[in-house]
Amino acid sequence: MLEAAELPEAQKKAIEVSGKSVLICHAPQGWFAVSNICSHANEKLECGRMKHGIIVCPVHGARFKLETGEAMSAPASKPIETFELRIVDGWVEVRV
Amino acid sequence: MNYQDRKTDKDLKAGAARCPAISTQDIIAQDKVQAPGWVRSESYEYLGSEDIDTARYIDPAFAKEEYDRLWTRTWQFACREENIPGVGDYYVYDLGSYSFIVTRVSKDEVKAYYNACLHRGTKLRASGTDGTASEFKCSFHGWSWNVDGSNKSVTCPWDFPHVNRDEYKLPEARVALLGGFVFINMDPDAPSLEDYIGPEALAHIKAWKLEDRYVALHVGRRFQCNWKLNIEAFQEAYHVIQTHPQVAPSNGDANSQYDTYGEHVNRFISTLGVVSPHLYGKVSEQDVFDQFTLGDSSALGGGGKPQLKEGETAREAMAVMFRGMFEQAFNADLSKVSDSELLDCFSYTIFPNLFLFPGISLPMVYRFRPDPKDHRASIFEVLFLRPVPKDGKRPEPAEPIMLGDNQSFTEAEGMDPGFGAIMDQDTENLFLQQEGLEASAKHGLTLGDYQEIRVRHFEKAVDKYMAMPPKRPDWKRAQP
Ligand code: FES
Ligand code: FES
Ligand SMILES: [Fe+2]
Repeated sequence: MLEAAELPEAQKKAIEVSGKSVLICHAPQGWFAVSNICSHANEKLECGRMKHGIIVCPVHGARFKLETGEAMSAPASKPIETFELRIVDGWVEVRV
Repeated sequence: MNYQDRKTDKDLKAGAARCPAISTQDIIAQDKVQAPGWVRSESYEYLGSEDIDTARYIDPAFAKEEYDRLWTRTWQFACREENIPGVGDYYVYDLGSYSFIVTRVSKDEVKAYYNACLHRGTKLRASGTDGTASEFKCSFHGWSWNVDGSNKSVTCPWDFPHVNRDEYKLPEARVALLGGFVFINMDPDAPSLEDYIGPEALAHIKAWKLEDRYVALHVGRRFQCNWKLNIEAFQEAYHVIQTHPQVAPSNGDANSQYDTYGEHVNRFISTLGVVSPHLYGKVSEQDVFDQFTLGDSSALGGGGKPQLKEGETAREAMAVMFRGMFEQAFNADLSKVSDSELLDCFSYTIFPNLFLFPGISLPMVYRFRPDPKDHRASIFEVLFLRPVPKDGKRPEPAEPIMLGDNQSFTEAEGMDPGFGAIMDQDTENLFLQQEGLEASAKHGLTLGDYQEIRVRHFEKAVDKYMAMPPKRPDWKRAQP
């Protein structure tokens, strides 16, 4: 789906997988795949800040744990979806 | 160590008596690598001996007035610049029910917006959060502001012909940057931060270059006491012998030095690697060396401490040891740093609620805030600032760890166990003091003229602001 080398540490990229917008995150804490759509008002997360394993929605500021998708602050209360991710021969694979 | 009987004459002027042991300045004067001017100066002033009325700690009406008189007029540490390195990065700072979005609007400019929508008031960002924004959009009806505070959009503008968007810029608190700290002040008429701190203390702060440090650890906890009691527990070394008996063998507590600068800054210098005057004759130099406590003993490695050489003092040996240790641990050049800066505890208060410790072995920042819902509770935070490594790559500031109400500081990941234990000892007294003040038939605190001058100086500043009329933020005056 995506070459791992294309995404250096501390970067993220939104890709389309089976009709879903998925955000691939290469955090210092590891690789994560989460929904690119914020659970609060369906805005895109791809321009948000990623730090300490947390992604921050750039629109109203809700924060989500990359590992579990858990919503950590208002205005979101529901989690975002997370997906299984593995790296095989330098390629990032996501199960949706 | 010599213990001369001096400076204790009954007929000394009020406030002139000192511990008869060797003075802080005399200890520091014997060091090999000499200390800079800001260490080697004194600035004590006697401010009276009257009791401090205790209503300020126990009366909820007093706390309520503080929000309108004191907090709205004073400079407060909101965040570090490193929390908001890029344009659009923001950090929400709360004080009581006040809340601000502190954000970088250009490379050199930081603003602090009142964190409330100008439509029907919703917070634009939740408290306790940070992030990066391309706009500040309200989650209720979608009114939006640009990062520079100008109004970006009003939803259904046809329904708001009475709203002139030029007049709906986000109101701002004043912002000042110093030493890598972002300060805010709600009062448009307050003096500049420089004038508020005053020339002498300002020169000290500038000399420390705290902008070249980074937040390596940030831990907070709530305590069952008024915020001012929480602060005052850290303004004297008088309590060391009773509260921290394990520290006294290597701390010049009763002979610590106390200074005040203008109305808003005070400090103490408490020497380390020397024995407490309370314990003269009871511990040896080797005992001192064996028992010192570090703010960050991870720098020590696992090696344990060696024996002193013949004729060597613990303080000399510690200076040599600390220099090597910290240079290695922090990958930083400390060759020009004095023994005193490496070893001693320098505690500065910048009124109302910031403490800076510019030393190397004890490199803390404290912040104290009232609990917005309870005048008998306060929130305490400690940050450890380490030098940025020599290669210049600044590590990310640590994410704050908020402990639960019954947790020990030693439970915070990354906290030095010895230091955590000291913090626990300091804070275990607090609820007893709060409750005792409420139970007491005596309605005043009695203070030592010298060792508790910082408490008196601090409360004098409280009195000054509380004597002023209430001043609530005015959104029209707060617009640029
Ligand atoms: S859409 Fe993400 S916080 Fe509102
Ligand atoms: S309250 Fe903010 S848009 Fe209505
Ligand atoms: Fe203490």
